[in-house]
Amino acid sequence: MNTLSAIRPVLQNLPQIQFTPKTGNATPVNDFMPVGETFDTTLRKFVGEVNTKQLAAQDVTKQLLGGQNVPLHQAMIAVEEASVSFQLMVEVRNKLMDSYQELMRMQI
Amino acid sequence: MLNCLNGITSTAAALNAERIRMDVIAENIANAHTTRSADGKPYQRQQVVFETVLQNQPGNITGTPVSSVQVARIEADKHPPILVHNPGHPDADAHGMVAMPNVNVHQEMADMLVASRAFEANLAVVRNARSMALQSLSIGKRS
Repeated sequence: MNTLSAIRPVLQNLPQIQFTPKTGNATPVNDFMPVGETFDTTLRKFVGEVNTKQLAAQDVTKQLLGGQNVPLHQAMIAVEEASVSFQLMVEVRNKLMDSYQELMRMQI
Repeated sequence: MLNCLNGITSTAAALNAERIRMDVIAENIANAHTTRSADGKPYQRQQVVFETVLQNQPGNITGTPVSSVQVARIEADKHPPILVHNPGHPDADAHGMVAMPNVNVHQEMADMLVASRAFEANLAVVRNARSMALQSLSIGKRS
């Protein structure tokens, strides 16, 4: 019984996460490891981008409160974008913690 | 670049354009009875012209450029000024006629409603994009 087969067409329509090698002659360690960018680097970059969004939102809010000519909606959109990307980060963290705890519970 | 709220770039530009349009309408209503502007003639009604701009960075999920909107220019209405008979007015000509601005306040009120509704529609886009992103985030939740 394959309960998840229904979502396979949906998954095919989503944009693929691509692990592209930075150097051309990098040799794969094994079949399970992606070549080039590791998950660690991807995660680091992602957290950095979320931080950038937070800083941008903070900056534009400061400008608005400081009386500079920033439209109100632009500040609100920046704050909203920062909030959504932060929630995405929290979800990713929850998934990682879940998988870690699942592994810890595994009987050997 | 992390892009959580797709379609927001063009909406933000549209909100900005509608705000400029609102500013121009406010200017028209404020100057509806101005008989003497900077060039000595009666005030001329201003109107905004919107144009499409292609954003260079790929903003949507397929990677194609997003077409957003901006104010191309603010132009004066070509209609002649409205002549009103008012001999006591300091700006009246030899026949006692005063050239009033070609602003029709009722038309400006209607335009203001249109601008307000268009702004509201764009805000609805923002709201929906946000709720779609949050709903996508709750895919993996177990409860």
